[in-house]
Amino acid sequence: MEQEKKFYLTKEGLEKIKKEYESLKALKFSKTSGEIPKIWHSEDLNPEYLSFQEDLSFIETRITELENIIKNSELIKFPSKEKQHKIGLGAKVLVQVDGQTDEFFIVGSLEANPSLGKISNESPVGRALLGHRVGEEVMVSSPIKTIYKIRKIKYKNI
Amino acid sequence: MSPFFYFDQNYVKFNYNYMKELLKFFIEVGKLKKMPRRGWVINQIKNPESIAEHIFRSALMAWILGEKKRGMNKEKLLKMALVHDLCEVHAGDTTPYDSVLPRNKKALRSLMKTWPRFNEKEKKKKLQEKYKKEKKALDKLTSKLPPHLKKEIRNLWLSYEKGLTPEGRFFQQADRMENFLQALEYWRKYKKPPLSPWWLWAREFFDDPLLLEFMGLLDKEFHKGRWRK
Repeated sequence: MEQEKKFYLTKEGLEKIKKEYESLKALKFSKTSGEIPKIWHSEDLNPEYLSFQEDLSFIETRITELENIIKNSELIKFPSKEKQHKIGLGAKVLVQVDGQTDEFFIVGSLEANPSLGKISNESPVGRALLGHRVGEEVMVSSPIKTIYKIRKIKYKNI
Repeated sequence: MSPFFYFDQNYVKFNYNYMKELLKFFIEVGKLKKMPRRGWVINQIKNPESIAEHIFRSALMAWILGEKKRGMNKEKLLKMALVHDLCEVHAGDTTPYDSVLPRNKKALRSLMKTWPRFNEKEKKKKLQEKYKKEKKALDKLTSKLPPHLKKEIRNLWLSYEKGLTPEGRFFQQADRMENFLQALEYWRKYKKPPLSPWWLWAREFFDDPLLLEFMGLLDKEFHKGRWRK
């Protein structure tokens, strides 16, 4: 269930979410404290009022969502230096796959964005890479076999 | 007096200009019924599906597969599915292959057998350009709609595009699952597109437990557990 899910976040990811939360709270305050358009005719029909409500409800929904994320967030901590030779959450990994090179950043589901190379630790490839070291070949099958050769692992902020 | 509504005794009616703008909007989005999905055109699929056809099934899949997901606002999810590709009326459809497409047919067929990889800078640039182009297109499409509709459409699209809500995050994946299913159906019928890059991408992309289960089902149903080129 989404509400009870733990959100693994990078330091930057959590900071970004907290910043957005604070800005939206400030925006909500400014909207509710003095910028409500004067309501004329019916509250249900005035399009100006409707659009204001749309905005406010969007802001409120996002604030609730961010509160839930912050409440259930767990900061991704880099492993100790001795353990940084293995892939874990927060690792940046250089792989060779299908004759090409790509760089993956292993993140939690919320920060995942495969178009930017941010691969979820809950995706089949993310799961398969976890715990592996440089030089190892990770095979992901079903239905086709793909080999990910691990070239480099590093832990650094986004 | 509101520019969009007026009172007639106990009834509320839309005024003429309001209806006229809605009509224009419906005619514009109707163009999606005739716009083929670019990915299939590149792959030379005969009679490829239109963007509207993709929207139709992605909405059904999101609703029905989303049934199992608790805490999901179905109305929001369905509306999101309906609006998610409206921007393509003006922005057109984009694919990850667009920037690397060769003119030569043989080279194209060879390219379609791989998943295009880019460096970090290129990935960021592509994503930003796509976002800007689509946002501008959506603003243009909805510019004459009444403010509440314009905002609702924009907010639903933003939720999807940026994954701002549980519905947005789920639909990002349900939308791609529809695309994936269509690829498998074409492959079964025409033996194209090549499926290796699709599976490669899918296993890096999907992480929703429910959709991963669905992906397992696709493997069984389309490949019967065995991989055939």
